[in-house]
Amino acid sequence: MSVDEFDPAIERLFARAPAFADSAQFEAGVAAKLNKSSRFRTVALSVAGLVGGLIAVREVLNVDFNIGSSSASASAGGGATQGLSMAGVDAAQAVQSLLDRLGLAGLDLGTMGGMQMFWATAGVLVALLAAGVVKLSQEI
Amino acid sequence: MAKPLRELHDVELAALSAAGGRREFGELVRRHSPAVRGLLRRMGAQPALADDVAQDAFLLAFEKCAEFRGEGTFGAWIKRIAARIYLKRRSKDARYVAEVENDEVAPNVDSAGRMDLDEAMKGLTEPERLCVSLCHGAGLSHPEIAAAINLPLGTVKSHVKRGLDKLRARLQSEPVAHGSASHVG
Repeated sequence: MSVDEFDPAIERLFARAPAFADSAQFEAGVAAKLNKSSRFRTVALSVAGLVGGLIAVREVLNVDFNIGSSSASASAGGGATQGLSMAGVDAAQAVQSLLDRLGLAGLDLGTMGGMQMFWATAGVLVALLAAGVVKLSQEI
Repeated sequence: MAKPLRELHDVELAALSAAGGRREFGELVRRHSPAVRGLLRRMGAQPALADDVAQDAFLLAFEKCAEFRGEGTFGAWIKRIAARIYLKRRSKDARYVAEVENDEVAPNVDSAGRMDLDEAMKGLTEPERLCVSLCHGAGLSHPEIAAAINLPLGTVKSHVKRGLDKLRARLQSEPVAHGSASHVG
């Protein structure tokens, strides 16, 4: 701004903020938009965490199976698969007993295979992990 | 014991907002929203759209609060953000350019016959109004304005000068406004 353009009176007029009757409404609007964007971020983070977690679990399993097959030890590979199935069955039993205690014994998880049960449990764990991360990100 | 929000400085509030403090940011909105809303209207935005831009400017400021280090005032910082958002939207959407009201014949004045700045701004052409408010309201330099609205620097300077001349003439032509200006100046 050149010297001849500087006008204290004009500057002062521009510096003076006008009064608005609906200021409270405007402030509430900003707060609402902030909450909305926060909710959107929570959902997006949850979905991203869930998808990423599932992909990570799948990749880990693939790596294990590849190692098992490349070591040319069929029994070791078979052992890994069997161990996974056993873990799935154990998880199914644990969940079933939990459901029994909650009075939801009618939900029979025994019909699910070991592999299905493993995936379901992994999914729940990943979801819990994602929820924890989201909660943490909101608190920080 | 923590100080009440109203006693905290803008820089403190901005730091707390950067850490996710919604209440602290709410206080900043309370303090600065009238100036931001006023600036956007002076730039030529229609009231509803001006408020929309102002709200988006505050949302962006909340995201970027950590970048505000108190080198200038928070008010100047948020006004620059709002001005840039408005200019961006204005270049894409004609709705953001308000029609200049031709009220030379019967300007709105208060009971004392005084014309305020907003009323006087209505006597400027749209480019003059934009350049003057960006320069004196948002604190942008002439080269910054030229870059922001894609006009030659010389043209921007002319718009600012002509706009200021018109403002002075309109404000000083009112007897009470003249008295008021001499009182504060």
